[in-house]
Amino acid sequence: MCDTCGCGNPTVVRETKTVEVKKSLLEENERIANSNKRHFEKSGTIAINLISSPGSGKTTLLEKTIDALKDFVDIGVLEGDIETERDAERIRKKGVPAIQLTTGGACHLEASLVHKGIHALEHANGGKLPRLLFIENVGNLVCPASFYLGETVRVVLVSVPEGDDKPAKYPKAFKTSQVFLITKIDLLPYFDFDVEKVKKEALSINPALKVFEVSAKTGEGLEDWLDYLRSLVAS
Amino acid sequence: MHEASLAMSLINSVLEVAEREKAKRVLEIKMRIGKLSGVVVDSFIFAFNAMKEEASKKLRNTKLLVEEVPVKYRCKNCNCEFEAETVYLPECPSCGSVELELLSGEEMEVVSVELEV
Repeated sequence: MCDTCGCGNPTVVRETKTVEVKKSLLEENERIANSNKRHFEKSGTIAINLISSPGSGKTTLLEKTIDALKDFVDIGVLEGDIETERDAERIRKKGVPAIQLTTGGACHLEASLVHKGIHALEHANGGKLPRLLFIENVGNLVCPASFYLGETVRVVLVSVPEGDDKPAKYPKAFKTSQVFLITKIDLLPYFDFDVEKVKKEALSINPALKVFEVSAKTGEGLEDWLDYLRSLVAS
Repeated sequence: MHEASLAMSLINSVLEVAEREKAKRVLEIKMRIGKLSGVVVDSFIFAFNAMKEEASKKLRNTKLLVEEVPVKYRCKNCNCEFEAETVYLPECPSCGSVELELLSGEEMEVVSVELEV
């Protein structure tokens, strides 16, 4: 029967065809991410993808990290946000090149936007990529975990005021990261945040995680994080 | 809502196939989405349906069928295979080992498309 109008004409047969696709939806992102990775390897760049909720202190930690390391190593930053140049401006005040990547609504960075950022940063940095590149993802503990950007190391951050249930609620970010930073530990006396519990839960998702406890405000624990970065850069 | 970006990737891949096969319409899409993929299936289908018609008339009546793939491990110690409900490192139910290989659960793939040609 004719499918288009239901006229019952038996001579009109709809011709159909099933095509096997077997293709991952992340394939295109992975392809570009791998090309970013090759770009980093070629220029000897250590790229660090920072993932956390909004307000966990990524930009402040970056400012302190830049202050401590900028005489030791060449640093650059890609700042991912939905809107505004604010974070990139904060980083530029520290005297290192920063490119703002505005996603215009998307809640995560994708490899293609980072690819554009890499070229803009090279341009801003005298034609070459810095040795140490921070990619500050859009504040969101869910979606960025699904998008590989070509980074060398993925770091997930949780601040004390957010609560110690974050690994349990957002396991993917912890499963795909290599480093876990607990930030704002100067606030521990004021919150019911169980450091041992959060570490135990994060490690039960990903036993290989390196964990650091830091306060960008007081400087407590920062030295261990900085030593880790120094060792990455020296290797 | 990265489901919207992923639904857009789906639309692009499917339209590419439809173009290549010179199809008049896309009737049905079959997908496999793993429980560890980080995708909320309902949001994904919602996003796909919201965007499909604007993307192309060929997608106006397209049905999206999603098979949810369970999380499966194989124990490296005793070789048994089992399903798990959680991402927290599970133990092998027969020997208790935590040395496990993930067999499925991270899928986010388009299996096939049915076209009217």
